[in-house]
Amino acid sequence: MAAYLIAGLRVESDLALPGASAAGAAEAVAVTIRGGDVPDALDAPEARGPNWTIAGDRFLIAIPGIVRMLLSGGNEIVYALDPGIAARDAAVFVGGTGFGLLLHQRGQIVLHASAVRVGDSAVLFCGSSGAGKSTLAAALVNQGHELLADDFCAITLAPGRVPVVHPDGRQLKLWRHSIERLSLATRRAEPVRTEIEKYYVEPRAVATRPLPLTALYGLREARPPFVAGIEPLNLVDAATLVRHNAYRRAMVQRMGQADLYFDAAVTIARQAGLFHLTRDLGFAEMPAVIGWLEAHWRALGLTERAA
Amino acid sequence: MRPIVWLASYPKSGNTWMRLLLANLDADRPVGINALRGLGGIASGRARFDDLLLFPSGLLTHAECDRCRPLIYREMARQGSALQALDESDEEDDPTRSIRFVKTHDAWTVTSLGEPLLGGRDAAAGAILIVRDPRAVLPSLASHNGRSIDDAIGFLGDPEAAFCGRTDRQPNQLRQQLPGWSGYHRGWLEQAEVPLHVVRYEDLHSDPAATLGEALAFAGITIDPVAIERAVRRTRFADVARQERESGFREASPRRRDRFFRRGLADGWRDELTIEQIRRVERDHGAMMARFGYELSASDGAREVDGRGDCAQAR
Repeated sequence: MAAYLIAGLRVESDLALPGASAAGAAEAVAVTIRGGDVPDALDAPEARGPNWTIAGDRFLIAIPGIVRMLLSGGNEIVYALDPGIAARDAAVFVGGTGFGLLLHQRGQIVLHASAVRVGDSAVLFCGSSGAGKSTLAAALVNQGHELLADDFCAITLAPGRVPVVHPDGRQLKLWRHSIERLSLATRRAEPVRTEIEKYYVEPRAVATRPLPLTALYGLREARPPFVAGIEPLNLVDAATLVRHNAYRRAMVQRMGQADLYFDAAVTIARQAGLFHLTRDLGFAEMPAVIGWLEAHWRALGLTERAA
Repeated sequence: MRPIVWLASYPKSGNTWMRLLLANLDADRPVGINALRGLGGIASGRARFDDLLLFPSGLLTHAECDRCRPLIYREMARQGSALQALDESDEEDDPTRSIRFVKTHDAWTVTSLGEPLLGGRDAAAGAILIVRDPRAVLPSLASHNGRSIDDAIGFLGDPEAAFCGRTDRQPNQLRQQLPGWSGYHRGWLEQAEVPLHVVRYEDLHSDPAATLGEALAFAGITIDPVAIERAVRRTRFADVARQERESGFREASPRRRDRFFRRGLADGWRDELTIEQIRRVERDHGAMMARFGYELSASDGAREVDGRGDCAQAR
């Protein structure tokens, strides 16, 4: 059993989870991940999709042809590899998809977002798959910012306090094309899956402690009618942005957490600055986009203004 | 249950025009080119895969992804109304609401598990195949891809061609196999899973109201001819092109050289292709062109016929 610290939780796993941070000795075990028997179906299902079923505090999900997982009570993931599948080819689904859904079982607010440290704050970039979250985080890490999260951000809320963001691991996951364009070849580690040209990448610097959430950007491609630039959101749009970027947002309703997310969205929208960051997706624009962000952070007071 | 009717086409064959027509059947409001999203999207959309199956398609190989895709379309058909909420569309007054029209450029293929990629008859009640003369597809595709016409001729003849097929990055959509212009159409014509209705771009051009009316009748939708005329009026090429000039088109390729709504002509290829290029296309695709009633011109300089080919009727 290896011990990891993911989203602020101590995770003991018999499956190696590349990219995750090693846990210290102190934390109590919150989540166990182990290989074992996974049923084909659950009794008394309350909700189901093509490859998943919810019954009470149990969540059964298949990554077809690769791995099946049973998540129970927010503290255990049992996985069963499909025939011929190597453990390392399934780990990203167990540690990513499975763990993210398990956080929902725990009633944890989770956003589909990457995050970097700016000053003493967490700055988040959210958007659906392909929106450029990891790539932008990697480019900012190249500029000297610490990586806080690559894929999902667990957020803790306390009344009257600024929301806090927990790290999701210690490595980036980047496609070969991005690695080349960001000159990160020397930091490239193993592929995320054997047959996929997406790799773990060792960032120059990592934030290992939770940080207060002070700015959250919804990433958009500059396509009509969206015009490139940074645009602040009003409270309603800001709360909508948060709810739309809940990790696997269709599950928020299914798992009875709509109210939780609604309240969290309003709290986050009140406590942090929420913006749309609209830009061309190509790498040519990346230096300009980073320039906009750094100017924005100076204006927000997250970093010191130039003398 | 709200079955899918596929709007299938090789790229640059008039699919967007057809979607604009369908979206504009609603009496209340004209639907502009940048408001097409509510119409059921594109089958190869990545977000729908990730939303329904709860894991990232981007972590699968193209073949693994294909193996999962039938699940999505069957699920869409099964829970049509619940998914409307996800699409954020307000379709109450939409006369086509009994059917979910979904665009696809995917070839009709079978996955490694032997299932139709698009879910077969469990997912779809039928397919409308929009076909355009490959000589007219060429200049449009070349512009879309930011490549030369000769490159586009190669693409139309390549049995391994695909959109979004790269493996060194995450393409914005799922991979769409496009096994040559002839192979693409052969696959759709020869599949026996779902009923097919062929719409020729050229017929949509010469008689849009009648052509659209037949397509709707095939989908089981009865509609007031006034609504059809109104949709045709709202989507005239000049108006659509003006919308793009004024505010851009969100579905246009970032690589394109030209506007998405370029010329809107059925036979614009005659002044855009060289005789040699026309010869190559006709040599590559002559047999399939004949099936759709496109007359070959390079050999004898004959004019395009007006009549329909033997595949132009529903079967």
